[in-house]
Amino acid sequence: MKNSTSAPKILALLVFSFFWLFSCQAKNSGDTSQSGTKKYQLAVIPKGTTHEYWKAVQAGAEKAGKEFGAQIFWKGPQKEDDRAQQITVVEDFINRRVDGIVLAPLDDRALLRPVDEAGQEGIPVVIIDSNLQGENYISFVATDNYQGGVLAARRLAEVLNGQGDIFLIRYLEGSASTTYREEGFLETMIKDYPKINILVKDQYAGTTTETAYQLTENLLSRFPQVDGIFAPNESSTFGACRALQAAGLAGQVKLVGFDSSAKLIQALRANEIQGLVLQDPVNMGYLGVKTLIDYLEQRPVEKRIDTGVKIATPDNMNDPEIKSLLAPDISEYLKQ
Amino acid sequence: MKPKNFIWKRLTTSLGPFIGLILVLAIFSLMPEISDRFLRLANIKSVVTQSVMVALCALGMTFIIVTGGIDLSAASNLALSCVLVAFSINLGLPPWLAAMAGLATGGLVGFFNGFLITRLKVVPFIVTLGMMGMARGAAKWVAKNQKIDAPLTWLNELMTRNPRPGWLLVSPGIWLVIILSVLMAILLRKTVFGRQVQAVGSNELTARLCGIRTDRTKVIVYTLSGLFCGLAGIMEFSRLTVGDPTVATGLELDIIAAVVIGGGSLSGGEGSILGTLIGVFIMSFLRNGCTMMGWPNYFQEIIIGAIIIVAVTLDRLRHSQN
Repeated sequence: MKNSTSAPKILALLVFSFFWLFSCQAKNSGDTSQSGTKKYQLAVIPKGTTHEYWKAVQAGAEKAGKEFGAQIFWKGPQKEDDRAQQITVVEDFINRRVDGIVLAPLDDRALLRPVDEAGQEGIPVVIIDSNLQGENYISFVATDNYQGGVLAARRLAEVLNGQGDIFLIRYLEGSASTTYREEGFLETMIKDYPKINILVKDQYAGTTTETAYQLTENLLSRFPQVDGIFAPNESSTFGACRALQAAGLAGQVKLVGFDSSAKLIQALRANEIQGLVLQDPVNMGYLGVKTLIDYLEQRPVEKRIDTGVKIATPDNMNDPEIKSLLAPDISEYLKQ
Repeated sequence: MKPKNFIWKRLTTSLGPFIGLILVLAIFSLMPEISDRFLRLANIKSVVTQSVMVALCALGMTFIIVTGGIDLSAASNLALSCVLVAFSINLGLPPWLAAMAGLATGGLVGFFNGFLITRLKVVPFIVTLGMMGMARGAAKWVAKNQKIDAPLTWLNELMTRNPRPGWLLVSPGIWLVIILSVLMAILLRKTVFGRQVQAVGSNELTARLCGIRTDRTKVIVYTLSGLFCGLAGIMEFSRLTVGDPTVATGLELDIIAAVVIGGGSLSGGEGSILGTLIGVFIMSFLRNGCTMMGWPNYFQEIIIGAIIIVAVTLDRLRHSQN
């Protein structure tokens, strides 16, 4: 039996050393546990944690946390865009009894019950980014996504001189914010630009750059005559951009996308992307947390807060306002 | 085998995973930030509720792994069932019939797995890999590439944290897991069928020579596992309140990991229901604890990955003694 007693020991040692390592790491990385207890503990739950966009939201949330003395728990579903796991995260924070939750719901319906449960437990919830059915939240802080789609349609029509064949690449089944962008785009195109022919309008890029890349490649080989593409979020824009670059069509096929990242800015500068619709994610994270704190301190809050959309083009990308939206300075708040 | 020996062996089989679970619980309940919250009944209840889907699928998966097979289509099967339940409710079917539809599709997908594996003589890995794509595709097709909103019915009460008749204490979904686990443990250990399943996994040729209809056993096991995935799909629908074709992507690996952490051997012949459930809870409590601590996701992914390797190493150590 000598071996079998050493075996659990190995397990114990390994698990324990991991936890020890991580708890040290967690203490170092968060500037949370230093100066005693903060006034509020707030959970901020994004849809995912790897997109640049969510990093900017996190920066805004941390900024507000610092300003108003709140400890921010930043935690997304373990697998990006997994509805069931996001529900789990909300429940876990209810059990931890945080003072409030800022949530970017992956689904306007599936997250309804956990949010209701938070309400029953007396934990206020602010919804950011994408809307949620029901009324059990104190405020909805988000971009006007439909308007973003409208801006994208106008820009793409402008660079195509009002005629040509285009793809609308959709993002993900059931994702509310991107669906509004797609609808805004589609309706504006159909209504205002009759000479533009939409070749593809019901293909989904999926959640990763890789899947968007593959979809665009496949569409390009099927419809080589295409003149323009619209993609409704960062990963699908970058995937489409990579596919155009790989096919040697970048700049020739016009691309209008949504959101920004270092690579997308580079492509915009090289005129491989003709337009990027920009939200203000830093402001969204900031206002989400600020609204929650306003509520906790019994100041009046608006039920709907718009965080604004702008379009960046190769021409206006150096304007200070656009520049700060393209590449928000998040390093101050996030130690990478 | 003498009964005393048997009990001893059963104990040591689940001892490793059990110590793992105790360790996870102990470590988190010692964390000062959450020590007063982690072992609360409310938290345990919600962790167990969160584990219902994986646990149900893992019950069926244990049988498959004991036969030396594998089912990569489990999570897609779950998603298909979840979507079909929502779809059927929208057709106007009564909720119980919609649930039956989900269950039946699960069983059907499982049956096809077993049928193709035994008839085409293709290894389970390949057949279920193919089925994984087909079931996921079918789910998206039925749902028209969208999630399906369905009106709320009593089906959505199956997974609430606070069940309606108060004397139930925990959600009906959890009761289902408890009852089915006991039944499956008895089926695997105490019945002729269970013996046959183990015989097929230990040495298929010998089993056949002993007069076991191995193909039939396999088809039954895959169908059974499919039914469990269907049931898990119903529970997922209950929890999400929508039929989501993209739900549980990659969950098959969690399910397989649970069985393996619990002492199941991918080469067949080994595995226990109790061990599997412990495997499920090790992963769920880890996830829960990491979330409550506000740790980033990559920590828990690394930890769970390490635990899988440790668990399998343990398993090998134990074998080398025998």
